[in-house]
Amino acid sequence: MDEAEGRRSGGTDTEREGRTARALSWTAERVDNVPRIARWEMTKNAGGADRRTLVVALLAVVGIAVLIPLAASHGVALDQGIYRVGVSEESPLFGPAVADSTFSVQQPRPAAVRTGQQDVLVRGPQIRDYTDSQKGRAAASEFRATVEGYNDALMREEVAAGGNDSAAFPVVVNLTYVQQAETGSIAIGEPGEQTLDSSDGTATDDASDGGSGSGSSDGSSGGSSGGSDGASDSGSGDVDSTGDQARPSGGGTSITERLTGGSGDGTPSDISPPFPFRSLVLAFVFVLPLNFVIQAYGSTILSERLNRRGELLLVSPVSRLDIVVGKTLPYFAGAMAVATLITIVLRGSHVSVLAIAPLALLFLSATFLGAMFARSFKELTFVTVTITVSLTSYAFVPAIFTDVTPIALISPLTLVVRDLQGQAIGLGQFAFSTLPPTLTAAVLFGLGSGLYREEDMFTQRPIPRKVLDALAAPIKRKRSVALVTAVLLPFVLVAELVVVALLFALGEASIPFILIGVAVIEEVAKSLHVYAGYEHAKYDRKHRTAVVLGFLSGLGFFLAEKLALIAQLVDLPDLPAGRAALESQATLGLGLPLPVVVVGLLFAPLVLHVVTATISSVGASRGKLPYVGALVVAIVVHLVYNLAVVTLYV
Amino acid sequence: MSERDERESGSRLPNPLRDPRVVIARRDVASLSREKTIVLALFIQLFVAAFSSFLVVGLTSLYDPGSVSAGEIVVGVSGEHADALVDAARQQDGVRAVGYNTTEAAREAYLEGQLHAALLTADTGGRITVDVLAPEENIRTTLIVTEVRDLLEAVERNERVARAQYLDRQTVPVPNPIDASPYFGFTYTVLVPLLLFLPPFISGSIAVDAFTEEVERGTMELLRVAPVTLVDIVDGKAMGMIAIAPLQAGLWIVLLGVNGISVANPLSLLVVVTAFATVVVVLGLLLGILAGKRRQAQLLYSVVVLFVFGTLVFLPEHPATTVAKLAVDSATTLTYAHVAGYAVAATLAYLLARVVARRTDPEGL
Repeated sequence: MDEAEGRRSGGTDTEREGRTARALSWTAERVDNVPRIARWEMTKNAGGADRRTLVVALLAVVGIAVLIPLAASHGVALDQGIYRVGVSEESPLFGPAVADSTFSVQQPRPAAVRTGQQDVLVRGPQIRDYTDSQKGRAAASEFRATVEGYNDALMREEVAAGGNDSAAFPVVVNLTYVQQAETGSIAIGEPGEQTLDSSDGTATDDASDGGSGSGSSDGSSGGSSGGSDGASDSGSGDVDSTGDQARPSGGGTSITERLTGGSGDGTPSDISPPFPFRSLVLAFVFVLPLNFVIQAYGSTILSERLNRRGELLLVSPVSRLDIVVGKTLPYFAGAMAVATLITIVLRGSHVSVLAIAPLALLFLSATFLGAMFARSFKELTFVTVTITVSLTSYAFVPAIFTDVTPIALISPLTLVVRDLQGQAIGLGQFAFSTLPPTLTAAVLFGLGSGLYREEDMFTQRPIPRKVLDALAAPIKRKRSVALVTAVLLPFVLVAELVVVALLFALGEASIPFILIGVAVIEEVAKSLHVYAGYEHAKYDRKHRTAVVLGFLSGLGFFLAEKLALIAQLVDLPDLPAGRAALESQATLGLGLPLPVVVVGLLFAPLVLHVVTATISSVGASRGKLPYVGALVVAIVVHLVYNLAVVTLYV
Repeated sequence: MSERDERESGSRLPNPLRDPRVVIARRDVASLSREKTIVLALFIQLFVAAFSSFLVVGLTSLYDPGSVSAGEIVVGVSGEHADALVDAARQQDGVRAVGYNTTEAAREAYLEGQLHAALLTADTGGRITVDVLAPEENIRTTLIVTEVRDLLEAVERNERVARAQYLDRQTVPVPNPIDASPYFGFTYTVLVPLLLFLPPFISGSIAVDAFTEEVERGTMELLRVAPVTLVDIVDGKAMGMIAIAPLQAGLWIVLLGVNGISVANPLSLLVVVTAFATVVVVLGLLLGILAGKRRQAQLLYSVVVLFVFGTLVFLPEHPATTVAKLAVDSATTLTYAHVAGYAVAATLAYLLARVVARRTDPEGL
């Protein structure tokens, strides 16, 4: 990203007055080169034999798309026949056992239960015995759930046959979410709910008939109430119909069925806690194509490195930036095209597309860096899978808690889920969600471009050396250190947020671990590139230089850290864990007199960062072992400071 | 498989380790351990397992509050059917019902935060209508709603029994609740199959790399001038990649056992894993031979594998179910028939790969 700086200092003469003119010609050059490389990347891919690949791949994708509904109608019961129940035909429990494919029904044999060949033994109307093992207990427990579901299905049948509704479904539930501890608070209405309320108000026999349904429409009316919940969840009629199809007519014990609801109304088994399950599944649809895109992208980057193929491009009169952007552009455009398509199909808004953009960039940049590090295709496969798995869970896990805690916003996927649910998204939330991944992607691309040079591309350098190479590449003079520290901050933020997200379930107990994690992350981020600079002999090893570098690194970190104030835009500090992570901002808004705030907010952290960075910088100037030792000292100092701050203010 | 074993034992006389196929296989596996990627592979699988466990354990604890000790839920009950609810609550651990004389009083108490939920009952047309007030946007909400649901289901059961005379069909008596691990089913139907199927798929993906890398680096030329045929190369590559899958799967079985999840029928399970590994590795190698470039081959591999695995839904028993039934020790004849079927399919796929390799002109790569 500071490629421009590199070119300017390296190549053309530097005249003050021609600055704008040069900026213009620089832009023109980019506009000229990037599309050319992008076009070349595309024609190289789409031409000839690759068309065959695309056709086959497309056929397979279409096949998968056709398969999914078929498979859904076919019914995939993974737990088919995993428990064996012994029940005779006379038992009233025979019906439920036969109806649920989880159980394989056998003749009751008490001896078989003892030897573990039969898991549950039913005698008459009750469970007589079950194997004394985890499996036996699980089977018996599952059997109970099956019987409950069977009864509901039976009663639906009763109603369908024109039986007594009020005896079949004697309880009608209407679930409303109401905020507590606020006088005069009103129900936080979901669209579906108001209608339910009103039907409840006019609750005559008719209305309650509609609620529990009659005739064959019962299953579907139950389904449609679930479906309309789904629709209000996701704000899309499309989803509604799939919801209807997916809902099995039998009184289900399946977890997915319970997950699909939002709030609810109807019989007791119809109500379920709020959980954006359907939106989550749909959001997953956005992430899936990214994995295919990075497969191809990683291959193309690594191919370039085999047999020095990329050398021609490197010696051509285009900058590294042009090459990287040009080679990435088609894949990014492809990913965004797919995301747009999916958004249109799912009837999301532009917010979904915009929220996917940083994710796509993150996937691509991580793959780019991985492909620059990988030594072989095999290694690249593992790197790609690692990226897929870790980034997918980064995107996905927080989104599960969309409705529970604002910390979910660290994943842009949460924005997609909210968008699909039809909720409005504030600008601050959008920035909080998308800025860290975007900046991280920029840094990853920057580090990768640092390796986009002959020594690193075409030779087998050990990984740690490459890491240092990548970090040292942007360092030109002393003040670059401050810049690199600042640029690394998105990493620090993301890493810290991940630490918080991983640990916040522990509540107050997590604070010490978070503080340790924060100290390690921040100190490494402040010093590793200084060490890399020394290893690349960018600086002399005098004490004075080391102190200056340490000061610059600390200053850079301090300035960039103020970006963390973005975190204040959501109510992250409301959580004790979040407060610990953002400890240097904790002094804000405590109503302390201004000088104290200034000292607390500005001076103390600045001193801390400068001191610790100087410690590790001096160590770095002495070599590897002293660097590690100094780093540990710096971490300890940082930790002590953090503990002091937390005990003072929290 | 069997055919290769025969050939191997047939060529044992000179020195099996010098067999070019074994040399190729060893070289591929050695490069994996040299690059320490195998560590990464195990890490990935561990991560996936942990991730899915986290998801399910998290979700199960959300939906089955009994699985986590979360304290008691206090609900306020009012209206003419309040007694029925209070009675049912007495039978249920984790819920305490407090009766209120008027609906307003219950609502008031809820709004003031004295209750986790308010259940306002009324009688409409012979039915018990329950208006449930529950807090939203709260991690406890799921717990509260689930407890309330269980409570109301109990009321429903009792009422059905009380009104049985008006029903043509009689409900089946529901067995008493049994304390069981809510994760048991998940462990065997999702986690174990996941852990056992991941190694074959990764093997297939590396097989694509192992072959296309030789082509793209130009080292295939070197192999060709050596006294080995393309069939030998395919044999060697397949051997190495197939071999690492059951090794990893076996490791998982042992690790699960250490963690108290006993996996039955390990041998049959390893046969299934080896058969799947053979099929996907053959697929990977064939795509490598046909496409020649990694990007195309790898893309096709991932899409085609997904497709093929999807079509297996139409088998009488899904592979994941086969694995689950074997692992949980509920295997039937049908299960073993599937295991045998996979072994046969793997042998056929392997033979096909050899035929294709024999017919392919190495100069064209």
